[in-house]
Amino acid sequence: MPENPTSTRALRLGVAGPVGTGKSSLIATLCRELAGELAMAVVTNDIYTDEDARFLRSAGVLDHERIHAVQTGACPHTAIRDDITANLDAVEDLELAFAPLDLVLVESGGDNLTATFSPALVDTQVFCLDVAGGGDVARKGGPGITSADLLVVNKSDLAPFVGVDVGRMVADGEKAREGRPVLALARSDTAAVERLCSWVRGVLADHREGRHTPRDPGPMAPHTHAVDGHEHGHGH
Amino acid sequence: MGDTTDGTGALGVLLLADARLPTGAHAHSATLEAALAAGLRTEQIPDYIRARLRGVARAEAAAAVLALRAARENPVDFAPIQAALAARTPSRALRDASASLGRGLTRLARGLFPEHSAVAALATAPDDTPGLRVLRPIPLGALGAAFGMAVDQVARAALYDEAQCVAAAALKLRPGDPIAATRWVVDAAPDIEESVRVAVGATVPGDVPARSAPQLDRWAGAHAYSTRRLFVA
Repeated sequence: MPENPTSTRALRLGVAGPVGTGKSSLIATLCRELAGELAMAVVTNDIYTDEDARFLRSAGVLDHERIHAVQTGACPHTAIRDDITANLDAVEDLELAFAPLDLVLVESGGDNLTATFSPALVDTQVFCLDVAGGGDVARKGGPGITSADLLVVNKSDLAPFVGVDVGRMVADGEKAREGRPVLALARSDTAAVERLCSWVRGVLADHREGRHTPRDPGPMAPHTHAVDGHEHGHGH
Repeated sequence: MGDTTDGTGALGVLLLADARLPTGAHAHSATLEAALAAGLRTEQIPDYIRARLRGVARAEAAAAVLALRAARENPVDFAPIQAALAARTPSRALRDASASLGRGLTRLARGLFPEHSAVAALATAPDDTPGLRVLRPIPLGALGAAFGMAVDQVARAALYDEAQCVAAAALKLRPGDPIAATRWVVDAAPDIEESVRVAVGATVPGDVPARSAPQLDRWAGAHAYSTRRLFVA
């Protein structure tokens, strides 16, 4: 079992965020755009069904066998953070079955603003919000919003219909994140999709070169864990 | 009698019984989810716990006792114990559930005690059961050896975990008072102790009880194909 991270194993990318913000859709987009150049696999964490895995399979963006659903015993938060056993098993099985993989995507079960991945499970993580969830969510903070490697403000094309100012929401996110990237995204926005893919390619290149160190958004507000001492420290 | 124990294995007992142990057990219901889906009533859950303690869990506890004893030998050979338990677990779904928990415990054992001879021997435990990963009692016995636990402590940890797994899953699956669920576990004490006695009496792999329950096997098998479930098993 490949238990020790090395630059030769796949980059493990987590996608977290509240229910219905478009995590599955974001993963389908990544598969559609990147599967031609990267060897990929996906692990989904559904709450009660294998709906997310079915959605991805039906999207036809990846071979069915490369999409694995895990059950979390009604504890989606636990399964990506406190006890990552089921997810590690799934990731290792996929890495073994389809070696060598470049990228494994792990979709969290839709949870709340406090759910983030353990750095023992993923190397990098995206936190996904959407405009329809309310323009004020990015201001509410939480470890995913403030400290995930990338914050996505999804469904930006819906903003006019729900009365949300996307620019304002992105600015709120940037203010909370001290310079870490924020991306307004819609499936139909080809320029934004390309920026998302470029970000993934960049992290993958860093991972392969040994320049990437998984960093933990933490389970709590960032003020309580600012002793990590490296370049991503919060400086306050 | 003094008011303290000598502490041998005591920390191991607490760790192995702790739901916070990161081994993936939180995604298991000991087949309770399937049993309820098939019509088991909430008031029958204490009976269900007893059935598990006398059946699946007793066999696993006996295998864990044998694994702990084997772990103290040189060289360590778990393969006959794994084979004996697999042969007494005709349901593929139940073998898979045990293997899933065994995988988590094996990862924990390798993380905590990478140099221990019993932990190293986990790699060859499935030699006589091709296609089946190491079953839960084997790393439980290896961890028991590493912690310096007694055989009854390992058996009781396996049985307690079974009862608590059902009780905890019940709270997710049916409305109920968490204290009432805890009472189910406390009330199961005589059944736990009876199975501990049987388990510690096992001295050779052939002593692992063969007590599969066809109805339970059927529920477990159906659950593996369910598309609406909270628990993996």
